[in-house]
Parts: sequence; C-alpha cells; structure tokens
Amino acid sequence: MKALELSKSTRDRLAELRALSEEAESGAKGARQALRKAVRASPREVVAEASELARQGQWGLIKTAAAGEPLREEALLVRLDLMRSEIAGPAPSPLESLLAEKVVAVWMLTELLELLSAAQLSALPKSQRVEHSFLKFYVGWQEQAHRQLLSTIKTLAQVRRLQTGIPNTQTNVQINLSATSGEQGKVPF
Amino acid sequence: MGWETRERGSCYYTRSKWADGRVVREFVGGGSLGQVAAQLDEYERRQKGEERLYWKEERKLLQQSAGFLRELEEACEVLTRAYLTAAGYHKHRGEWRKLRESA
Repeated sequence: MKALELSKSTRDRLAELRALSEEAESGAKGARQALRKAVRASPREVVAEASELARQGQWGLIKTAAAGEPLREEALLVRLDLMRSEIAGPAPSPLESLLAEKVVAVWMLTELLELLSAAQLSALPKSQRVEHSFLKFYVGWQEQAHRQLLSTIKTLAQVRRLQTGIPNTQTNVQINLSATSGEQGKVPF
Repeated sequence: MGWETRERGSCYYTRSKWADGRVVREFVGGGSLGQVAAQLDEYERRQKGEERLYWKEERKLLQQSAGFLRELEEACEVLTRAYLTAAGYHKHRGEWRKLRESA
C-alpha cells in the first residue's frame, strides 16, 4: 500500500507560504503584501489536494472500521458526509473546508482506535487478543488523535471568530437573580 | 533453550525461564522426552514469531492509512498561518491578535 502524500508542487507551495508568513510576521517590508497575493493565488489548489488526500485516507479508515461489511461502509460514508457539511457550514472559505475535512478525518481515526481498543478490552479469546505492546501503542495513538481533534476544532473556531471580526475577548454578563426575583439569599436552582 | 551435553556424553534438553527476577534453567530430560519438549518449544516459538509478524503488519497498515493526517496537519497549519497573517493578525503568546493599524 502506497503512503498517501501531497504532491511536490503542493509541498513547494506550502513551503513558499510558510516562508512568506514568517517574513511577514517578522515585519519585513512588503512581505505582507506578497503574502496576500500568494494567499489569493494558491491555496484553493492546495486545499483541494489536501482535502482529496484526507478523503482517500478516510476511506482507508472506513474500510478497516467496517471490516468488510458493505452496509457499515455506506453508513460511515453518509455519516462523514453529514458531519463534513455540518461542520463546514454554509458557504465555507477554503480554509474552513480544509479544517472541517481534518476534523472529520481525525474523528474517524479516533472512532476507529476506540473501536479497536474496546474490542481488545472485551472478553476476546486469547488467540484474537493483541500483544500488550500493541495495546499500549493503540492507547498512545488514541490520546494523540484526541488531542489533534480538540486542537483542530479550536483552530476552526478561532478562524471563524477572526473572520467574522468578533474581538478576542470574553464578555461576562452577570444577571443578578436574587435582585430580579425578589427572593434574596435563596440559592438559584 | 537447547541441548546440553553432560560429561558422561549424554544429552539433556534444557529451557531457561524467568523466575523471581532471575533466569532459571530447567532440565527437561534426554532421549525422546527431550526431543518432544524441544519440538513443542520450537512450535510455540514459531507461533509467537508469526503472531508478532502479523501484528507488525497490522500496525504498519494502520499507520499508513492514518499517515495522511500528518500531511493534512502541515497543510492546515501553514494555510491557517498564511491566511491570518495576510488578514492582518499576528500570533502573540500562542494567541492570534489583530495588528493595530499604523497611522
């Protein structure tokens, strides 16, 4: 089985964007302008290729999770499609689409690892049980996937918030229940 | 594990195992008893080797199907950074902030 990977041109484009971002962040003159141009010109293809790669990878995970059952394969495919559209929302930007794709891919991996380790923890006959070292590897990977899932969701939320221009501050609204209800001193709920 | 030749010239089949934190050698016996024990041990060893190989292959397959996540992660990280930097944000102590417009 060939490992899924991005093409050389996409990698080059990503390297170019990374270099331009670093320059712009360090305050180099004209770098932000050049970055804006590059962002407008290239990411759609990069996003398209990365999304395609994610889908192929998801398909590999679906096949493992479904264990050759066509109905389960179809059900998982439909579920991932639904998740993808729900997470990306209406009219997503290319970056939102890619992040939604990643959330779906990592979710699928998390589910698969959970399924595999749950099967191992149940009362399986000895011949079907994996080695202890393998189980340790599963658990470690499960933790890693879970962290990735949370960080991707966080990045998507950040990108959305910044795109809509909502300030990066938290506003706490305090409602004084005792004052409004007239039952002072009583603990609400 | 293996055959050991004694001073008198007879062969004994022995196996080593862990007991109470140290290696203990167990003398199984010579002749046909030793041969049966040796064959059983060989069979068990091969079976374990095959199992180990099977799980190694399984692990490799799973790693390959999930390997795309690393690529995806890199693409997401670079694009997020590029988009937000181009839109006038900068990262301050791990948090994205809008740059103040200079007059």
